[in-house]
Amino acid sequence: MKKVLIVDDASFMRLSLRTMFENSGFEVAGEAGNGLEAIKLYAKLRPDVVTMDITMPELDGIQALKSILDIDKNAKVVILSAMGQEERVKEAILAGAKTFIVKPFKEEHLIQTLNKIANN
Amino acid sequence: MSGQFSGEPMLDMYIFETNQNIEQLEKCILDSERSSCYTQAAINEIFRIMHTIKGSSAMMLFSNISVLAHSIEDLFYFLREQKPDNIDCSALSDYILAGIDFIKLELRKIEDGEKADGIPDNIIEDIKSFLRQIKSENPDNSSVQEDKRASAEQPRYYITPNKINKSIAANTFKAVIFFEDGCEMENIRAFTIIHNIREFTEEVFYFPEDIIDNDDSINVIREQGFKIYLKTRKSHKELSVFFNQTVFLRYLELEELKDDSEFYGLKDKTGSDNAGAGSAVIAHMDTVHRENQDREVAVNSGQSIISVNISKLDKLMDLVGEMVISEAMVTQNPDLGGLQLENFQKAARQLHKITSDIQDMVMSIRMVPLAITFQKMQRIVRDMGKKLEKEVELELIGEETEVDKNIIEHISDPLMHLVRNSIDHGIETKAVREALGKPSAGKITLEAKNSGSDVVILVKDDGKGLNKESILEKAGRNGLLTKPAEEMTDKEVYNLIFLPGFSTKEKVTEFSGRGVGMDVVVKNIESVGGSVAVDSWEGTGSVITLKIPLTLAIIDGMNVLVGNSRYTIPTKAIKESFRPGSKELIKDPDGNEMIMVRGNCYPVLRLHEFFRVKTQVTGFTEGILIMVEHENRTVCLFADELLGQQQVVVKALPQYIKARRKVKGLTGCTLLGDGSISLILDIGSLVSI
Amino acid sequence: MEEATERKLPEKQLQDGEEDTQKGRFLTFNLDRESYGIEITHVTEIIGIQPITEIPELPDYIRGIINLRGKIIPVMDVRLRFRKTFREYNDRTCVIVVDIADISIGLIVDSVSEVISIPDTEIVAPPEVGKGGNKYVKGIGKVHGEVKLLLDCNKLLNEDDSEYLINI
Repeated sequence: MKKVLIVDDASFMRLSLRTMFENSGFEVAGEAGNGLEAIKLYAKLRPDVVTMDITMPELDGIQALKSILDIDKNAKVVILSAMGQEERVKEAILAGAKTFIVKPFKEEHLIQTLNKIANN
Repeated sequence: MSGQFSGEPMLDMYIFETNQNIEQLEKCILDSERSSCYTQAAINEIFRIMHTIKGSSAMMLFSNISVLAHSIEDLFYFLREQKPDNIDCSALSDYILAGIDFIKLELRKIEDGEKADGIPDNIIEDIKSFLRQIKSENPDNSSVQEDKRASAEQPRYYITPNKINKSIAANTFKAVIFFEDGCEMENIRAFTIIHNIREFTEEVFYFPEDIIDNDDSINVIREQGFKIYLKTRKSHKELSVFFNQTVFLRYLELEELKDDSEFYGLKDKTGSDNAGAGSAVIAHMDTVHRENQDREVAVNSGQSIISVNISKLDKLMDLVGEMVISEAMVTQNPDLGGLQLENFQKAARQLHKITSDIQDMVMSIRMVPLAITFQKMQRIVRDMGKKLEKEVELELIGEETEVDKNIIEHISDPLMHLVRNSIDHGIETKAVREALGKPSAGKITLEAKNSGSDVVILVKDDGKGLNKESILEKAGRNGLLTKPAEEMTDKEVYNLIFLPGFSTKEKVTEFSGRGVGMDVVVKNIESVGGSVAVDSWEGTGSVITLKIPLTLAIIDGMNVLVGNSRYTIPTKAIKESFRPGSKELIKDPDGNEMIMVRGNCYPVLRLHEFFRVKTQVTGFTEGILIMVEHENRTVCLFADELLGQQQVVVKALPQYIKARRKVKGLTGCTLLGDGSISLILDIGSLVSI
Repeated sequence: MEEATERKLPEKQLQDGEEDTQKGRFLTFNLDRESYGIEITHVTEIIGIQPITEIPELPDYIRGIINLRGKIIPVMDVRLRFRKTFREYNDRTCVIVVDIADISIGLIVDSVSEVISIPDTEIVAPPEVGKGGNKYVKGIGKVHGEVKLLLDCNKLLNEDDSEYLINI
């Protein structure tokens, strides 16, 4: 079972993601509510893939992404972005994010993306 | 509801979190307004909250909320990036608060299981035109524009510098990529591919070229696909594997070009080589990256707070209540009667200690600070002050005081009403205040403090105070006076305002009118076992004192027996209990019984008569009298016998019964150790019979 | 299923039972000589008579409240609700606990008889009989030549009788 780390400051989003993952045979290794937690949990849990929100307090998703890649250059991070965040998404891609999903997304899109990224 | 989630927990979480965000937002706005304008931190915060609400609402398919949140997010994006000065902060607050109110209303509908069908178009239009206005006043001259430029210069034609000389035996390919419908931001997806291609390619260019700064490129990609021409040493097969890893890939066309003529022919048409830019960006990011690593040391441990559905806490409370009863059933089991059980008693005491610790802990979990309720008043003070053109300051004291969650829900509305009343009727207009030599801004103080098992909340204002004459006149007109005005103390006069039927206002104002009077406040507070009192000083202000119990769930009670029925009297209301002697009993001509105790005369209320219960104990000297007091009124209750004192878990009477008839004299019921039901007496209503 | 097992009404079956299998199934009980039916979907359990705590000032047919394993529910004497004379409770007396629109309430009846299926075709509308006790009956079911009066639980619980209205 592929392990995923959920990073989002909104607990609603975390619950949504968790539900979708658990419905689809992913193991949710952990949840982080901000960038700092995300980095710490990544180092501890070494998930197969990370879903990363961009706009978060403390340390945003892109900063966290970079630190995670520093810990593990093969880390697979999927950015969760919202409409209107093209600039930030681009920044994330340049920084090494594998791909991104745009909120609101459908469960099938999320799972399809995660499968593709996790299995590559 | 949502198409994706039928699950209630998701909706609950959405509602819970969005409400929380809205509260935080409102506080942020009001704080900002008070400190004259929005700090950068506040702007960031508001932007982030709106961003979250937008995302969550979109996921739940509440598009009206999402669209509105988006427009506010846009506005704050501009404020964040441009840092314009000369913003009309008061107007800004008005727009955002209008948006907040809309979202609150929709959330309420969602909570009530209704459709969130509000149309925010007007609010959005207002926000947009406000944004247009500040944009025109603060022309785009700084970073946003530059960012745009910078992004436009991102590599559209990319040659990896260290590979440029190695273009030996490279194959030339043309790839056309179509993304799945609805994957969004196709231009950035195209950008992602190009970014990854640079790992292994010698030369690459693509159409549409301006994938970043031209929004139309999205449509071109959707309709015609994203076309890439590249030179690489990879084989067709390897390249095919690479492209097929693309997320949201719907269709791929990959063709090896026979000669370079098409490649170079097209290449010359595209923009100039810009390979350096990408690397520069990446280099810069590396530095940022380092900085973060340093911060990483300061990472704090995971979440230490979780949110729990209140119904689970209620259930837990119920269970603990049952555990307390079960404990009594075991330790006071009649089978143990007369036995000397030293070890058993020891163990029982230990069990008792643990049970009461658990009980305390559960109670403390349910306690929430009054801060949120108090903070809500900021908004009311602001809105009313603005409308009535009065300057009002709100001072909050003791916000950290905690009350049971269920009680908080009952005091929010009364508090709001009291604060409105104070601003509307208490605080004078600026001109009047100045003429009287008072500070031009009126002041309302909300103060909470613990006092024994109660919490006392004071609503103070420094306004004109209550006018005794007009209260008396009004009470007289409405037939509310029970004794001559001359015999009434000031306090008694002031308390007339709480009587039902008093607040028939001549002038119904927008805020405290609505036909809702102080009696509703009293009713609400009394429904949670609290009381309301008022004091006032003409010309200098009034104080309304709310006294509410810390919790409703568990009380100390004295159980009494009447016939076969059991009743529980809250211990705090009991002054004493005694066996009456026959000669102390007095009967007035109407047959009302009274008793003399130490020179004072108190009315007697026979519980068996009041509740129409059959009992053998009717002789005055056979039973027992329990003297109870509530708000300076005392009555002696006559019961068959005392059963003993214990903590009881208060349970509400079934809704079915409460809905049929307001049962006088009872606040609820509880279960005793033997499984029987005891009815809890409402001393407040018994003393006023 | 055997009648004998049905009579016990295992709680599990009642709680988890799918709507479909419960449709058209009625719990029948007796008051005097008449037999009544109540849709099985509403019934959560059947218990013997319990000690009742009286609550003052309620209509006489609401006898008070009982403790159902820590849950406090009101109980209604269906005889009194139908203005029949009060009959002392005995060991045949049963409390049928029903759940209707989030209200849990115990119905005190003389005795419970069985669970039966009555197809829609065997149910006719009640005749119009003035203002009598018929208003709580929403249909009449025919089973093996016997007549079962099928109760409208909603009305049984919520219809205010005239006596109550006058008292307001």
